Amino acid sequence: MITVSNLTKYYGNKLGVEDVSFHIEKGEIVGMLGPNGAGKSTIMRMLAGYMTPTSGKIIINGVDAVADPAEAARHIGYLPELPPLYMEMSVERYLKFLAEIRRVPREKHASHIEEAMELAHVMEVRKRLIRNLSKGYRQRVGIAQALIGRPEILIFDEPTVGLDPRQIAEVRALIERLHRNHTILLSSHILSEIRMTCDRVLIINQGKLLCDDSFTRLAEDSIQRYSVQLKCDMERAKSALLSIAGVTGVESADASLVGVSQLYVTITPDGGTLDRLASALAAAGIPLYELKRTTKTLEEVFLSIISNPVPQRLPTQEEAV
Amino acid sequence: MISMIRKEIEAYFTTPFGFVFMGIFLLLAGLTFTVSNLLGGNGDLLGMFGLLANISFMTFPILTMRQYSEERKAGTEHLLLSSRLSVLDIVLGKYIAALVVFLLTLTLTFAYPIILMIFGDPNIGGLLASYVGFFLFGSAMIAVCSFIASFTENQVIAAIASFGLLFLLVMLSSFSKSVEVPVLKQILSALAISARYDEFIRGVFRPGPVCYYICYSAVFMFLTVTNIKRRQLA
Repeated sequence: MITVSNLTKYYGNKLGVEDVSFHIEKGEIVGMLGPNGAGKSTIMRMLAGYMTPTSGKIIINGVDAVADPAEAARHIGYLPELPPLYMEMSVERYLKFLAEIRRVPREKHASHIEEAMELAHVMEVRKRLIRNLSKGYRQRVGIAQALIGRPEILIFDEPTVGLDPRQIAEVRALIERLHRNHTILLSSHILSEIRMTCDRVLIINQGKLLCDDSFTRLAEDSIQRYSVQLKCDMERAKSALLSIAGVTGVESADASLVGVSQLYVTITPDGGTLDRLASALAAAGIPLYELKRTTKTLEEVFLSIISNPVPQRLPTQEEAV
Repeated sequence: MISMIRKEIEAYFTTPFGFVFMGIFLLLAGLTFTVSNLLGGNGDLLGMFGLLANISFMTFPILTMRQYSEERKAGTEHLLLSSRLSVLDIVLGKYIAALVVFLLTLTLTFAYPIILMIFGDPNIGGLLASYVGFFLFGSAMIAVCSFIASFTENQVIAAIASFGLLFLLVMLSSFSKSVEVPVLKQILSALAISARYDEFIRGVFRPGPVCYYICYSAVFMFLTVTNIKRRQLA
């Protein structure tokens, strides 16, 4: 549905996006995650035809978006970070104007507008001026405008930014409803936001794509970490664990019981390290009280990925198979 | 493009800009009519349009200052650019909407010729030529202001820069007379927006000045389209 190859954007001499490539299948809901200023909005603007890339290729539903941005834009509904609204218009007039300039056939205007208003839950404010609406409603009107013309792909740039928790929940529910019939790419700098709504995540930092993977694999395929309780002093426990092949790191936990050392052990996921660990501890005569796998929080994974200056890319699911 | 024109005309009257333009323009027209005709006792509108041409450049920036700045600030410019409208549709749509508001305002001054017809016997052809001439002159000024407005997302800067450039273009007709270098004199004379307007206010209607003002507007429309396309590709 969306294929991006070697996408690069320079603002004068300043690099905005560098050599980004990814593919989004039909029906997927993908989150673009990265700190503020990472290049998420630039990528989205280029996908939506708002901006021309310096180099690279964008294929939207089989259409080359760089060569024919107007045709590609027909397949895309785009909500920028700041919803593009005419404050002096009523919601209904605004959507009608969009139906006109997007060349929706006149006889279909009413059905497109009704459908967009119903999906975005703005029917009750259809006659009100946009300037008089709350931020939450304005955001929903912004989403309704993206739906005019019935595009198959929706691109939402930070759709929940600046909303209160109730409005965030409403927008999230709306995105889930839209996912039934659309392919969605959305961006956020908040990890939990992406995790709740998306199947897959693209992590962007300093204009580079650092990671493209599913959340489950993101957590699992990153470093494996175990919590270990051993009945011995801390120094002995550390030296015993570090001598085992496959153990890449040992750190003491904050809370330890009297006479029992609690540590976090990081191992390489080669399959045999746990066996070697159990045997080595038994051979050294150190009683093992607990061995429990702890998953790194996604925040920790995210921070470790973006703080790594060398671009890394986890294998895609196909490559892993 | 029709939907663009309609939307722009609506915007003039759902915001104060249309009313402010009409108010100030009609105030200036009323003042010049009073000074030239009612107090001066003239039976034609030569004096009124002559005076109006020299001071109306203050009003046209009001009509164009929000044309592009508001779209850029609200992010709706991209909405238009990614629609099925071409850049020419957008620029012409905004320009024609401004012309419609200008024309509407100008028709409200028809009260003055009616007053003249009641109390005197004015030359109808001359009056008509004055009106057409002033409309063409105003159209060229609106095109210049639209071009300036396409550069900035700040309404105040758009208005001040348009005002400054129009002032310069109006003054060029005086400057060009004192310049002795032949090529420069011709260039300045071609740019002097009010130089060819005198024929109209004298009631003379020739194709030359008509074409001049249409071309003047077309050149600035072309420059506006080019400017927006340049920014789109940036």
